[in-house]
Amino acid sequence: MRIVVCIKQVPATTAEKRYTADLRLDRAAAEAVINPLDEYAIEQALRLQEAGAVESVGFLSMGPEQAAEALRRALAMGGDDATLVTDPALAGADEWATARVLAAALDRLAPDVALMGMASDDARGSLVPGAVAALRGLPLLSYGSELRVEGAVARIRRLTATGFDIVEAPLPVVASVTDQVGEPRYASLKGIMAAKRKPMETWSLADLGLAPGDLHGAALTRVVEARKPEAKPPTERVENVSPDEAVARIVDWLAERKLI
Amino acid sequence: MSNEIAFLAEYAAGSPARSALELAAGAAQLASQSGGTTVALAYGPGSADAAGLGAFGAGRAVALGDQATPAITFAAAAVAAVREIEPLALLAPATPNGRDLAAALVGLLGLPAFGPVRAVRIEDGQVRSEQATLQGTVVTVSQPVDDAPRPAVVLVLPSTFTPIEGGAGAATVSAAPASEPGPFGSATVVESHPAEAAVANLEESSVIVAGGRGVGSADGFAPLNELAAALGGAVGASRAAADAGWVPYQLQIGQTGKVVKPALYVGCGISGAIQHRVGMQTAENVLAINKDPDAPIGEFADLFVVGDLFTIVPKLTAEIRRRKGT
Repeated sequence: MRIVVCIKQVPATTAEKRYTADLRLDRAAAEAVINPLDEYAIEQALRLQEAGAVESVGFLSMGPEQAAEALRRALAMGGDDATLVTDPALAGADEWATARVLAAALDRLAPDVALMGMASDDARGSLVPGAVAALRGLPLLSYGSELRVEGAVARIRRLTATGFDIVEAPLPVVASVTDQVGEPRYASLKGIMAAKRKPMETWSLADLGLAPGDLHGAALTRVVEARKPEAKPPTERVENVSPDEAVARIVDWLAERKLI
Repeated sequence: MSNEIAFLAEYAAGSPARSALELAAGAAQLASQSGGTTVALAYGPGSADAAGLGAFGAGRAVALGDQATPAITFAAAAVAAVREIEPLALLAPATPNGRDLAAALVGLLGLPAFGPVRAVRIEDGQVRSEQATLQGTVVTVSQPVDDAPRPAVVLVLPSTFTPIEGGAGAATVSAAPASEPGPFGSATVVESHPAEAAVANLEESSVIVAGGRGVGSADGFAPLNELAAALGGAVGASRAAADAGWVPYQLQIGQTGKVVKPALYVGCGISGAIQHRVGMQTAENVLAINKDPDAPIGEFADLFVVGDLFTIVPKLTAEIRRRKGT
């Protein structure tokens, strides 16, 4: 039983973001981390490996060359090997192109479970897991708060409007998990040292049998404008007053805005 | 090629979801800009009778199937319908179900995808979507590349459009072209566990009183429930409160929970971390009550009250009740 966790390198939440002249995110300028929501997928895979349900855990990322750092950090958390798909033709890849490339790489890696985080921190479309499943012709188990693999099936616990369902599909599957699977572990010093010796392969588009033409030049979408959001009016502060005074101010504010 | 605007209309337990009514209004708005008509792709229990969507803005509806299975199992029928209609745009709700079905269409048909958005329009016959990315630090406007296949798939956040009220008319309903369910059909719900108590649908509430770490316990939510009741609203929570088990995860607001846009949001004991902020930052009015004067929520709330929520909230509830005479 093998899981491959797909991870994305994203700008750190706190990093200053800039756009290049052609309105792409300047990924080189921002401090980069593993997409925080992908760390939960890593954690879920490692827990399954520790429980003996999974023999090996691999990591897969598509990105610029420096995305190798994110893979190395994932290997420091645990797992066995990593694959980076990098190619200059992939700069500015949209969700469809990303899914197409990951699907091609996963076809080669052929894991029982291709596991992803529920969304990326930077774009938040959450479309890649479903699109990868569609491209690979596999069932999708999405938004799991827990993933289990038993025998020839995978099962997730999935929140519904009022409770939860257990959804099951025969292996192989594409799955995504939420931040409810458990807090991701930190890499230990020993883990960081061990990661340096774990195998990492680098593939180009040609290695996957894809040409830039297959990807519509990496994107079916283009950004035509990027700007800062409109500034909100300044916050009105109420402090160092008695609770009664504070309540009076709140009630006035609610009434002014016709909220009561 | 058509100028039609399609939208995903989810049904549950015999009725259209709120998202279906919102997207019907959105599709009608876009259709008036494209000079086309609207078509609902209806799925889930009750969707065979999608004629009722006509009163909300749908010109016609294609029924994809009315079984109670995961949304993505309707992908093959949706693909067949989309191939036949070739709409200019397809609006999908930015909910787990809507995203899954939209993702399958993007993967199977190789389509440009946008969102989640709070604004979308048709300009010069082209879809232009406006999206807050990178935790809301940048707003980008995107459109399909010139030779992109149709439709443009647009994920739309809840409360972006307001359902049309008092409309009349019935949508003509046709069945989707025949299709095989494919691999998605092999994912099945093997157990279903509804909640014991009713859980509010935050996306439909115009007032939300949300509690965070500062609420301290499940019992600490009692005064928030009272305030929400006095304001005619619902209670929500930050991830910290949901993780602690004080409220169910269905009430979590934020990046990994619900994205809400109420007329009034009251944050109690919520610090306002970026992950929470992306779930509520488009609320029309934000009131925050926190004992920490340096809480980040103090930087983006409209009114920030520094003080003890357990003192202020009950007094506020009493004062609101007094003014309302209840």
